[in-house]
This record gives sequence, C-alpha cells and structure tokens, in this order.
Amino acid sequence: MIRFENVSRIYRTRRGEVKALDNVTLHVEANEFLVVRGPSGSGKTTLLLAAGAMHRPTSGRVLVKGDDLYAMSPRERAAFRARHIGFVFQMFHLIPYLTVLENVMLGGGAVASRARREEATQMLERLDIQNRESHKPAELSAGERQRTAIARAMLGRPKLILADEPTGNLDPENARQVIERLSEFHRDGVTVVVVTHGAVADQHASRIIHLAQGRIAQEAKRG
Amino acid sequence: MNVVRLILAEILHRRFNFFLSLLAVVTAVALFVGFFTTGEASERETTRLMRDIGFNLRIVPKETDMERFWAQGYSERTMPEEYVQRFAAKENISYTHLLAILQKKVSWQDRQIVLTGVASQEVLPGGQKKSPMKTVYGQQGVGIKPGAVYVGYEIAKALQLKKGDTIDLLGETMTVAACLAESGSEDDIRITANLADAQRMLGEEGRINEIKALECLCRDENADSIDVLRTQIEEILPEAKVTQLRVIAKARESQRIMIEKYLAFILPVIVVVCAAWIGVLAMINVRDRREEIGILRALGYGSFRIAVLFLGKAALIGVLGAVLGYLAGTGLALRFGPGIFKVTASGIAPVASLLFWSLLAAPGFAALSSFIPTVTAVTQDPAITLRTE
Repeated sequence: MIRFENVSRIYRTRRGEVKALDNVTLHVEANEFLVVRGPSGSGKTTLLLAAGAMHRPTSGRVLVKGDDLYAMSPRERAAFRARHIGFVFQMFHLIPYLTVLENVMLGGGAVASRARREEATQMLERLDIQNRESHKPAELSAGERQRTAIARAMLGRPKLILADEPTGNLDPENARQVIERLSEFHRDGVTVVVVTHGAVADQHASRIIHLAQGRIAQEAKRG
Repeated sequence: MNVVRLILAEILHRRFNFFLSLLAVVTAVALFVGFFTTGEASERETTRLMRDIGFNLRIVPKETDMERFWAQGYSERTMPEEYVQRFAAKENISYTHLLAILQKKVSWQDRQIVLTGVASQEVLPGGQKKSPMKTVYGQQGVGIKPGAVYVGYEIAKALQLKKGDTIDLLGETMTVAACLAESGSEDDIRITANLADAQRMLGEEGRINEIKALECLCRDENADSIDVLRTQIEEILPEAKVTQLRVIAKARESQRIMIEKYLAFILPVIVVVCAAWIGVLAMINVRDRREEIGILRALGYGSFRIAVLFLGKAALIGVLGAVLGYLAGTGLALRFGPGIFKVTASGIAPVASLLFWSLLAAPGFAALSSFIPTVTAVTQDPAITLRTE
C-alpha cells in the first residue's frame, strides 16, 4: 500500500539543518494496522504527512498503491488524496462554522450530492454521533469531535487512513473508543497508520515501528 | 460540500471581518458615486458662475478699430449673423455658449443710450440652440422676447419707466419687460432688446457686431494660445477677429486645472486606501483560516477551490458593496449636493448607469485587492500548519 524508498526530509533552519527523516525505507502492506511511535521530534508526523501526499521529501520516493506521489502534479496529488486517503489529526481540525454533518461532507473530494449526504449521515450513525449532526464543533465533546473527524476521513471510503496522534487530546475512555473505531475500519479492509506517543493502539496493531532521530530504530510485528 | 455554502457560512462566522471589508468597498463606491452624481451639477454650476463673471472671448468684425472698440465698448463695424452657426460648426474649439450681439450708441429721448440686441437663443456646441434663459446676467438680457426690452437703471429713473410700460424706440413700440437694478456701469444707460428687433431698429438686418463666447478654449495641446484660436477662427470667419479677456480666461483655466488635479489626486488615493484596507483584512482572514486551509488541502481541495473560497468571498463583498455604496453615494449626493450646488440643485438626480458600473467594477476591485492574500493562501504549505497546530 505504502512504500518509502530512501526517504529523507531535511529542514533548513537558521541554526542549521534538521533531519526529520533520515533515509527511511518502509513498506506498509494493504490492510495493515501500523502504529508509529517515538518521542517528539523523531519524525513521526513528517512520515505521516509524506505518506499523505502533503509533504514532499527532500530525497527519495513515496509510493502509494504503486503511484509515486511526488511525481504527480499538485492537482493530481489533491485528487489522489481525496480519492484514496483519509486524515485524522490530534487537533481534530474541524471547521468551526460548519455543522457536524457539513464537516463530514467536506471529506471525500468535495463533491456535493444527495448520495454524499446520505453516506455522511450513515457514517455519523456508525460512529454514534447522528444526534449531533446539526451541532457546531464547539458544542461537542473532544471524543465527539474526534469521531466527527474520523467520519470525515472515512467519507468516500478511502483505502488508507493516516491518523496523527488521534488520541492525544482525549481522555482514556474516549481514546479507547477512537482506536476501536479505527480498528473497525481496519477490519473492513482499510489500511491504517497511527502515529502516537502512547501504547493505546498497540493491541490493535499488526506492526509497531519506533522512530528515533528520523530513522526506524525498532520494528515489531504483532499477531 | 458546496463552495457557496462554505463562503456564506464563513462570512456569518467572521461577521466583523466581513463587515469591515464591506465597509471599505461601500466607502469607495459611495465616494465615487457621490462625486459623479454631483459632478455634472458641479460642472453646470461652474459654468453658470463663470458665465456670471463674463464671456472670455469676443469676436468682432475684422475692420474694427480696437482703440475705438475699447473706448466705446462695441465695434462700429458689423458682420453676418450666420457667423455664429459657422463658428459653432468648427471642430477643435470648445465652448459652452455663444451669444450674437448687435449694439450701438443712439440718441433717444434727448439722451445717449446703448441699444443692445441679444439673440433670443444661445448657441451650444454643435450648433444646437438653447432655450431662452430666464436669468439676466452681466446686465445683458438673454432670451428677450420680440417686442420686449430691458431698461437700464438711469434711463428708467430719468423717464420714470416701470415694468409693463410701452415705449416708442426708434420707430418701434416696445414693452418694458424689466427695469434693471443699478449696476454702476454702462449697463445703466443700456436698453436691451431681442436681436431681430434691434437689427430692425438699427437698420442692420442679418448683421451683428460681436459674438461672445463663454469658456472658449482651443482643444489643441497649446490651448492657451490666443494665436491658435485666432488662426482657427480667421479660417472660418474671414471678416472677424478675436480678442480674449485674458484675466477671465486665465481664471477659468486655473480653476479647471485645479479641479482636475484635485480629482486626479483624491480619487486614486481613495482607491489605494480602500484596496489596502481590503487587502489587509483579507490577509488577516487568511491567517485566521490557516488551519482551515490546511485541512481542506488534506481533504483533497486543490488550489483552484481554495482560491475560489477567497476570491468568491471578495466578489460577494464587491457586489454587496456596489449596491450599498451606490445607494449611500446617491443618498449623500441627493442629501448634501443641493446645499453645495445651490444654482443647479434641481439637476442632481440618481445616475442609474453608475449602479451598473459599480456592479462591474467593485467585485473586480475587491477580488484584485484580495489577490495577494489569496495567493498566500493557495501557496501556504498545509503540512506546516497541520504539524504545528
């Protein structure tokens, strides 16, 4: 599903160069539940954004479903993201002036249609927040916001979910529920990559990798 | 998700930013509409005021002895009346009014008077004739009806004439249409009649001895040059020559240049200030929406759709601003214009075409002002936002 080939990402700052990713080679199989762990600044988010066609590496190639993401034009990359990739973030990134339903309908490539609305409603039901569909994000709990973000990510049924610290702002119970939801989608055949500090997702992972200083320091297969 | 719905929802969410942006467009449009709505009135008012000061160009028969002309106040020679129409047909000379006059000092009732015949209609550019004016200016009556006369102060006083009296003037019976107020000039011994009547009384049918032109300017680059005017006029009026009242001409020219310079300064300043205002607000809006732009990018929204969100909002602000600005500008012009332009107050009216031009220009103006912020939004690296938020 995802192939990193000698991927490096170097940030140039006034204080010198920072290697966020250092010659990373990684292969994520289809329908894998990959957990990426590591301390702050180890390159986890950079890895995730690079896999999501959001952040061009300084060198190396990133292929998703066999397509070299950064050989595409920006327009093609945007279309690719809309079709194949769902994002979930720690800060939820819901649009504050839209309702829950409208936020969900933003996902899946911005095609407004009745079918898309029905799909969004079903997704809200699946994530148990259908009773909140006309609410604004500010009126939701953190767990509900994250479930809304997951519903948005899953609209259009992408085959890949990239989740960046999805439980970072949640209490343990909500964190458990969110990981459960991601795991459900994984069981439906979706490839899930979760970047996290903690061990909350470990029990659902088919593989866990540890990043340190932009390199894969440790890798463990599970189940 | 519909882009229009996104734009409208965002506007409702950030009402203050929207209100301030709208205010900028409304201000710019209102000022423009106000200026243009009152502009015509201003022009007419200036013309009227300048006309009251006097005509700036005097065209007299070629053989006129200028020493005697200045001593007497008129030429002893005459020229064809049709010169007025010939002058009017000449291109490259601009003016606002032409007036044909025949005047002569004559003895009447044991006294010297100046009998002045004034054409019943003024000639406008292109040769059109204008309806008689009701006003009397420079103590010369314009639009005097046949058979009527205006009588100067001293004559009326000496002969105890009043409005409605009839007098026998050089064999013609005339009605006193008005006795003029004291002017302290030669006008006090002047009787002003319709040109045709004066021509008949003086035995000069079809002849005049002066054409007066108001705001006469040569459209040549060297417009100030009397020589250019002389050459041009002599080409069409071989029996005429020209003298220019330089002080008046200079004053008019200075006033015209001053108004043009003022508008040339103030209007671009308004545009630049309002554009900067909208631009800064749009930039603030882009900063406020960094996270939103980032997430839309992550969801697969391309640069075009992101740009449409910002430019669409700007265009909407422009359309609303055009309508509100037109209403505000027209309202201001109608409310305050008549107080400023008292003489031509009745001429100040809404100019519907300005709404059309406002609707055409304001959205473009707002979109152009938001262009740099939009480019910033489109080129913003969403990864940076999503990583740091």
